[in-house]
Amino acid sequence: MQVKDVVNSLTFRYIVKYVTVLSATVFMLVVALYIYFSYSSFRELGESVLDELETLQLVYSGQQMPGVQQYIDDQLSSPSVNRFYYLIMDSEGVKVLGDLPQSPRYREFDDGWLGFEMALQNWGESVDVEFLAHPLGLGDGYSAIVARGYDDIVEQGKLVFRTLILVMSVMLLLGISGGFFSAARALDRVELLNRDISRIVRGGPERRLQVEGEKGYVRALAEVMNQMLEQTESLMQGVRRVSDNIAHDLRTPLTRMRNNLSQLEGRLDGQDAIQLDGIIEECDDLLSSFNALLRISALESGSRLVDGSSVELRALLRDVVELYEPLALERDIDLTLDAPQSGFCKGEADLLVQMFANVLDNAIKYTPSGGDIRVQLRVGTGGSAGHGVVISDSGPGIPLVERKNVFRRFYRVESSRTELPGHGLGLSLVQAIAQYHFGSVELGSANPGLQVRIKLPAVAG
Amino acid sequence: MNILLVEDDKQVAEFIVNELTAAGHNCSHAPDGVEGRAAAASGTYDVMVVDRMMPKMDGITLINTLRTDGDTTPALMLSALGDVDDRVQGLHGGADDYLVKPFAMAELLARLDVLVRRVVPEAELQTVLEVEGLSMDLLRQHVQRETVTITLQPREYKLLEYLMRHAGQVVTRAMLLEHVWGYHFDPQTNVIDVHVSRLRQKIDKDFEFPLLNTVRGAGYRLGPQLDT
Repeated sequence: MQVKDVVNSLTFRYIVKYVTVLSATVFMLVVALYIYFSYSSFRELGESVLDELETLQLVYSGQQMPGVQQYIDDQLSSPSVNRFYYLIMDSEGVKVLGDLPQSPRYREFDDGWLGFEMALQNWGESVDVEFLAHPLGLGDGYSAIVARGYDDIVEQGKLVFRTLILVMSVMLLLGISGGFFSAARALDRVELLNRDISRIVRGGPERRLQVEGEKGYVRALAEVMNQMLEQTESLMQGVRRVSDNIAHDLRTPLTRMRNNLSQLEGRLDGQDAIQLDGIIEECDDLLSSFNALLRISALESGSRLVDGSSVELRALLRDVVELYEPLALERDIDLTLDAPQSGFCKGEADLLVQMFANVLDNAIKYTPSGGDIRVQLRVGTGGSAGHGVVISDSGPGIPLVERKNVFRRFYRVESSRTELPGHGLGLSLVQAIAQYHFGSVELGSANPGLQVRIKLPAVAG
Repeated sequence: MNILLVEDDKQVAEFIVNELTAAGHNCSHAPDGVEGRAAAASGTYDVMVVDRMMPKMDGITLINTLRTDGDTTPALMLSALGDVDDRVQGLHGGADDYLVKPFAMAELLARLDVLVRRVVPEAELQTVLEVEGLSMDLLRQHVQRETVTITLQPREYKLLEYLMRHAGQVVTRAMLLEHVWGYHFDPQTNVIDVHVSRLRQKIDKDFEFPLLNTVRGAGYRLGPQLDT
């Protein structure tokens, strides 16, 4: 099984879609959470800055600048990881108190909020820290700026984000590899099922899918398919039975009619007898196609050849060609046999003769006078390389689209329907006989005529 | 001729008996294999017509039993078209000929006629066949009519030999296919007719009267034309 097959399989694509949608959903959810978390963290930060400003203002209004000085010193001396930073300026904008530089490069946000970056000493190292700050007038021209770092919020956000990406990657990876393996497994079973179904299509609807050992939906599918096959088979049998019954039931009265006609013929002479002869011939034609129909049914429904005798194809083909030679000559058709080697196969000689005779009969019927028909025997060595018998004519051939149809019972190519006699059973019988012998028949073009290729399994002479 | 028909299907039996009687033969009927055996033992028959599928004792068993009993009366087996190798089995089972139902009466009559007259041992030993001035030397493979030598292809020779061995009898196309070509099948067209007419060209052309005649609805007969 190819990786491409798995990747293209429905199961895999379904699982990939599912995992993608799931990841996207989780991603969006976490992003929403992250936004909410950041927003509330910043709001808290802002509120604490405003509170601190309010406290400063209260201290100032109560104790003036010395009180503020005292308060800030207290704050600065208490060790706190995430403390406030202060800047108190006079009306000239000159720094009076605080640990912020006089004029850092502020970025201005809405509602008077300011942001800046400042290097802090952290365990002896200089670290750039982002600050959020807000100014407030304290009165008497003094103004204060309180700032607080928000690096920890950013750090937390980054952590959340990294975790999120990691989780998603793992999820996608697990999902897709899981999808790949379950698709591969499903495909394995589907492929088995596919092979079984192809076998049934080739071999005929009397075969069934394996249900034992299967579980779940494959089993259910197999069971449904089997039911379908059963219905198909019984329908086909029904149709066949009806046509067989018609053929079977009509044969006896038709034979009786024919017998009576031939008795009557003995008592007639001249023009009447000739006319009656024609009627009798028609009866024989009909009987012969009924017989062919029943023969096809017997060949198709029965088991295949069990122990046929050994048949030598070169001699058999010589006989058939010799039998049809005068007929071909009469129509000025050149009939030749090209069989350089002898080849044996197991079979019923009478059936094989019938098969080749039908093909030759057709060839002679459709080849215009002056044309030629070639019968070739190519001997196989046994095993899978069987014997091939190719019969090519120089007639009009059969169009590609019709080549499958002509094996159907009673099917006739439209152009010959009106022009030539026949019942459209000849090639059906040819196919039934070939398959009965574990062989096959296919049609090709002999440019421009028809080429009938019959394959039969070879056996050692 | 005296014919014994062993057939369980009443309707079919009645029809065959009527037809055979109408053709001028004596026909007795036995409805199953056991009665058939008894009838064959008590009477003398020229030929038997035995259905293959019968209750009590089927056709193959009946013929086998009769052969074991030493009865050599030629037997023709009738069968409904069934399995593919029915015919081969039937012929291996001791029947002398085999006919699939339904059949043309002319076919049955012709075959019975040939079966009955076949049992002439000296005919097998003849080295020269002769019919109305037409002669065939089997040793030299030489054919002549009156004083004219006729050159035949091998198959034409075989065809003529069969016709001469059954001179005066009706020979059907199916019988010719079976005995001259050795195959039993249903040719879609009149291949046999073409062969016969080619033979006719050689043995009848330029002669006083035709020897090889067509019997309408049945087949051919070698011999002087009968006045009907």
